[in-house]
Amino acid sequence: MKMFRGGIHPPEEKESTRAKAIEDFPLSTLYSVMLQQHLGGPAKVIVGQGDIVRKGQPLSEPLGYVSVPVHAPTSGKIKEIAKKIHPVTGTLSPCIIMEADGRDEWVEGLPCSRDPFIMERDELLEAIRAAGIVGMGGATFPTHVKLSPPEGKPIDTFIINGVECEPYLSADHRLMLEEPDKVLNGARVAMKILGVDRAILAIEANKPDAIRLMEEKAPPEIRVESLSVKYPQGAEKQLIKAITGREIPSGGLPMDVGTVVQNAGTCAAIWDSCSKGIPLIERITTVTGRGVSDPKNVRVRIGTLLKEVIQFCGGTNNAAKIIFGGPMMGIAQFTQEIPILKGTSGVLVLTEKETDISDYSACISCGRCVEACPMGLLPSTLSKLGEKGTWERALKNDLMDCIECGCCTYVCPAGRPIVHFIKHLKALFRTAGAKSKGA
Amino acid sequence: MFIATLVVGGIGAVCALILGISLITFAVKMDAREKEVMDRLPGANCGSCGYAGCAAFAHELTSNPDAVMACPAVSAEALKAISQLLGKELGEVSPLIACVRCKGGLNETASRYEYVGPRDCRTAQIVAGGPKGCEYGCLGFGTCVAVCPFDAMEMGEDGLPHVIAEKCTGCGKCVTACPRGIIALIPRSANFSVSCISKDAPKEMKKNCSVGCIKCGICSDACPFDAISVSKDKAAEISQDRCRKCGLCMSACPVSVIASLRMPDKVRIIPDKCKGCGLCRQVCPVEAISGKPKEAYLVDIGKCIGCGLCIEKCPADAIERKIS
Repeated sequence: MKMFRGGIHPPEEKESTRAKAIEDFPLSTLYSVMLQQHLGGPAKVIVGQGDIVRKGQPLSEPLGYVSVPVHAPTSGKIKEIAKKIHPVTGTLSPCIIMEADGRDEWVEGLPCSRDPFIMERDELLEAIRAAGIVGMGGATFPTHVKLSPPEGKPIDTFIINGVECEPYLSADHRLMLEEPDKVLNGARVAMKILGVDRAILAIEANKPDAIRLMEEKAPPEIRVESLSVKYPQGAEKQLIKAITGREIPSGGLPMDVGTVVQNAGTCAAIWDSCSKGIPLIERITTVTGRGVSDPKNVRVRIGTLLKEVIQFCGGTNNAAKIIFGGPMMGIAQFTQEIPILKGTSGVLVLTEKETDISDYSACISCGRCVEACPMGLLPSTLSKLGEKGTWERALKNDLMDCIECGCCTYVCPAGRPIVHFIKHLKALFRTAGAKSKGA
Repeated sequence: MFIATLVVGGIGAVCALILGISLITFAVKMDAREKEVMDRLPGANCGSCGYAGCAAFAHELTSNPDAVMACPAVSAEALKAISQLLGKELGEVSPLIACVRCKGGLNETASRYEYVGPRDCRTAQIVAGGPKGCEYGCLGFGTCVAVCPFDAMEMGEDGLPHVIAEKCTGCGKCVTACPRGIIALIPRSANFSVSCISKDAPKEMKKNCSVGCIKCGICSDACPFDAISVSKDKAAEISQDRCRKCGLCMSACPVSVIASLRMPDKVRIIPDKCKGCGLCRQVCPVEAISGKPKEAYLVDIGKCIGCGLCIEKCPADAIERKIS
C-alpha cells in the first residue's frame, strides 16, 4: 500500500463512535456565531442588534478575496454583537449572538433546486463563496480560493480526503457511509470547476465499510484508493505524496504539483451549496473521549454552545481536558461557553488519567523525532532553538515547513513540547515580521 | 640528536618568520582608544544603543566624530572618562527606568486555566492567549527577568516582576521581551505611573482583576496639569512630559492603581530673598501660598503638592525644594 515517509501510528480510539449513526442536534434557543471562522482576511458584520433574521441569511460580508461570510443557523432575532472567547485564538473576538424563534424558517428562495452540472464555473465558485464554505478538516481555508488556482498552475489530479487520520474522530467516516452520494456529487462539481477528469478518493484501510460502499457508488472517473493506516496521512502534503508520489516543494502549495485536495465534508458542503444554495450552517462533529458519557457523531449547527453539545452527549464524566479537534492537532479549551465553529471536526473530552503530564527534560538527541517527522525536518534542533527563541536560525532550519502535526512531541522520550516550541518560534517570527513591515 | 634539534628549530624559525611578517602586513588598524572606550561601556551587549553590541558602539564612538552617546546604561564616571578619552564633551543620555504596569498578581487576578508547558510568558501567550484572567495583565512567568542583562529584575512572591531601581539601566530588553507590552520605559525622574493597561470596560475588568484601573477619570479631573488621559476603553496613562509630580492623582484614585515611585519634595520660600511680588501665589494650583504684597510669602506645607510651578515663576529665585 502507498505511504509517505515518517509518521506514527497512535492508538486509533475510534471504536466508541465509528458504528454510531449521525444524530441531529435539536434546535437550540441561543446561538453564538463567531465572525472569524476561516483562515484569511476579515469580514464585516452586516446585521445589527434587534434585527430579525432567517435561517441561511448572511450575517457578515467578506472583506477581500480570501474571506467568507457566516450565516444565521436558524431564524430568530439578533440579541447582540458581543465579544466572546474564540475557541482557536483564546482571545475575545467579535461574535453574533442570536436568539432562535423556534420556527426555523429558511430565508426566501432557499433551499432552491438547480443542476450544478449545467452551471458556469464562475457561477459555481460564487455559490461556494456565498455559502461561506471553508476546509472542514479543520484548517478552514476558504474553499473557493483553493478551487481557483492561478493561470499557469495546471491541475490534473483532484483528491478527496476521506482519510481522517486523527485518532478518535469518525465524523468523515460516518458522512461517507450515510451520505456517499453527497460526497461524490460534490467532488464531481469540484472536478468540473477545476476542469480535471480524474479524481482519487483516499480512505485509510481502517474504514473497510466506507471503502466498499464508495467503490460501489463511485462513478468511473473517481477512483477509490485504500491507504495504510498512518498519521498524519490526512495532511495535504503527506496525502499527495502517498497517492501520487509527488513532493510539494518547500513553501509550496498542492497546486504547484498539479493537485488539489478537498476534505470529504467539504465536498458534501459544496454539493449542498451548488445544488440547493444551502450555506454552511451545520457540520458533523464527533463528540468523543472517555470523559464524555455517551460519545456520538452529531450533526450540529454552527454557533451551538459547546456545553449544550456535551449535555446532549450525556454530560462529562471525570473530564479533565476538552479539546476542539483531535488529540494530535486539536486546541485545548478552558471554558464550555464557546461555540462550535465551521472547522470543529471533533470535541474530545479526556479524563485526568489520559492528561497526566510530567515535566519535560533536556533533549537527549535520540533522533526519534527526526525519524517521525513527515516533513523531513529536524524537530530536535527546532525545539532547542525554540527554548532560546532564536527564530532567525530556526528559519534556516525550515521552520515554516512544519505542519504542526505533533508526531515529534508524541514520540519524544524526554516529553518535550516540541510543537509548542515551534509555534513559539513562528509567533516570534510573525511579530518580528510585522514590526519590520511597520517600520 | 643534533640534526633533529636543528631541523625542528629551523622549522620553528621559518614559521616564526612567516608569522612575524603576516602580523605586520595583515595587521588590523584599530584606534587605540577603542579598547579603552569599550572597557568603560557596561559590556552587557544589550543593544539599546542601536548597535550590535558594546564593541560596535565603541567603534562608532571612536571612528565617527559626530557620534553621540546613546548608551543609557553608562555610569556618570564612565561617561566622563570616555569624554576625556575622545577629547569632546558627550551629552548624558536622559536616564530611563523600566516600569511594570500591572499590579494584578496571583492573589488579585483570576486564572483562566492551568498552563502546562515551558515557563516562558511568550510560549504561554500562544496557548489560548495565556492563562491569566485579564488579557492585558502580567502572565508572571518572568521572561522579562530572564532577559534582563543587568540582573535588575526579580520575580516577587506575588507573581509579578519587580524592577530593582539601582540596577536598572533602561536598556529596554524587558520591554521587547514582554508579549503583552506591560513594561514601559519612563524617565528616571518620573514620580508616578499607572499600574494597569487594561482596555476592558470596568465591568469586564472587575470580573478578572480586583486592582485594575476602572477608568473613572477621577485622576484626570484631579490633575491640574492635564497630564493624564483616560477613556472608557483605555486605562489612565500619565504623560511624563507634562506631569509635575504633585501626586494629586495618586491620592484621588479610588482603586489605588497609581503607583508612586517616590514622593515629591515640597517647596520653601527663602524669606530673605522674597520680594513679596505674589506671582507664586497666582500660579499655585492648590492655594498653598499666602502672604501680603511686599512681605515675604509663606508656603503651607500641608497643602503644597510639590509641583514646582512657583519655583519656575519666581523672578527672585527665592523658592527652593525642601528635602522632605
